[in-house]
Amino acid sequence: MKLVQFGDNSCARIRRYVDSYINNELLVETNHEVLRHLETCPACAAEVESRTRLKARLKGAVQNQSVPEDLQARIRTVLREDSRSSFAWTRWVSAAAAVLMVAGGLWFELARWTRPALPDLADRRGQDVFIQKVSASLSAVLKVGLGDHIHCSIFRKYPKNPPSVDEMAEKLGPAYQDLVPLVKARVPEGYQIILAHQCGFQGRRFVHLTLSNGSSLLSLVITRKQTGESMQALTVSDHASGVPVYQAAAQTYDVAGFETDQFLAYVVSDLGARQNLQIAYVLAPSVHQFLAAVRG
Amino acid sequence: MKRQEFEEAALPHLSEIYRTAARLLADSTKADDVVQDVYLQAWKSFDRFEVGTNCRAWLYKILFHVVHHHRRKWFNARMVKESDDVLDQVAASAEPIAECLTDEEILGALDRVPQDFRAVVLLVDVEEFSYKEASGILNVPIGTVMSRLSRGRKLLREQLEETAQSYGIGKGKLEGRTA
Repeated sequence: MKLVQFGDNSCARIRRYVDSYINNELLVETNHEVLRHLETCPACAAEVESRTRLKARLKGAVQNQSVPEDLQARIRTVLREDSRSSFAWTRWVSAAAAVLMVAGGLWFELARWTRPALPDLADRRGQDVFIQKVSASLSAVLKVGLGDHIHCSIFRKYPKNPPSVDEMAEKLGPAYQDLVPLVKARVPEGYQIILAHQCGFQGRRFVHLTLSNGSSLLSLVITRKQTGESMQALTVSDHASGVPVYQAAAQTYDVAGFETDQFLAYVVSDLGARQNLQIAYVLAPSVHQFLAAVRG
Repeated sequence: MKRQEFEEAALPHLSEIYRTAARLLADSTKADDVVQDVYLQAWKSFDRFEVGTNCRAWLYKILFHVVHHHRRKWFNARMVKESDDVLDQVAASAEPIAECLTDEEILGALDRVPQDFRAVVLLVDVEEFSYKEASGILNVPIGTVMSRLSRGRKLLREQLEETAQSYGIGKGKLEGRTA
């Protein structure tokens, strides 16, 4: 609190304390002096009024700034991934200690059980190793979908605002652009398409749509079959309007797959087996029909 | 669950942290990156946070730490030397320009205030932290907070006047324009 004596040149002196007055930081006595001055000085009263309004406008201007809608979702994803990495690391240490105490033979079993830490976005080689480790337990045909999901959806920094439907359609190209409205109309409420494009991973081309529900990422990954590839050897998890859907888990991810004569399609997420399969079940019939009609 | 506890304590402050970062950096893209870093660092040090204490002030402290960390990379920090006579200066009477400028123009003027001063104005005048809290967040003495605040407010008023004058709405020409 400030105690100020006003005398001659009080206008000049009071201006130094206008902000303190507005913020109620002056001692009672000083406050009374300022008030008395303001009653008889329209210029200083106008100054107080002006600075008070300015403070309110400044506060309003800062608070009116828009916050990216998906920022919270992205932060939750970062936190979740970090939790997993830390958790895996802790478990790795515990497992290592146990193995040292018991027997070296248990090492590989425990290491296989432990998820590797998520590498840095710039660490391409680390990412490949990560994908290899995470998908180790999957059949080759399902690894294809999980690999592109992790490569393209997880190891990615998303822009503040998702691209527009037109931009996504352009990136998908004329043959696949209708997938955007098709998927958008069928996914459960709360899911938003945040990326749609064609991409490449390990020498294959993919049509890839990434969706977010605010806390998790889900991919619809489509690629042309290579010679001899088929899901028919896998165990069917469900039939969606006659389309067999195959699902398997790889650590925290679940990969649901279905196929046409020419294409392999996958729904991949870490939403849990039940929810991932439900979304695959919802998408499979229409996506299957769409892909069956793709020519060339 | 610990992460849930963290999210419940920290995420309600996300919008204000982002908005402060956006103004502090005068760049929403950088703010986006910084805010993600802030939350990741806060999460990593959540063990040291005492639940029930001021989570908002704690997040702001981390925000300024992260900004400081990136500062060399991003800024040719234009520092304004603080002088003892700042408080002795009598600010020129501000025109009633608050109503004459848009939010964007006000934010633009704020962005032109050097960062150290802008930071204190944001903390005290916008986020309404006390001097003591701002002192803790910025890790500077309370006297420094007060002098930077006084200087920051004055610089902001000057910037706003310049903006207003550049639009020809300086002294005596305020009519006919709305915020």
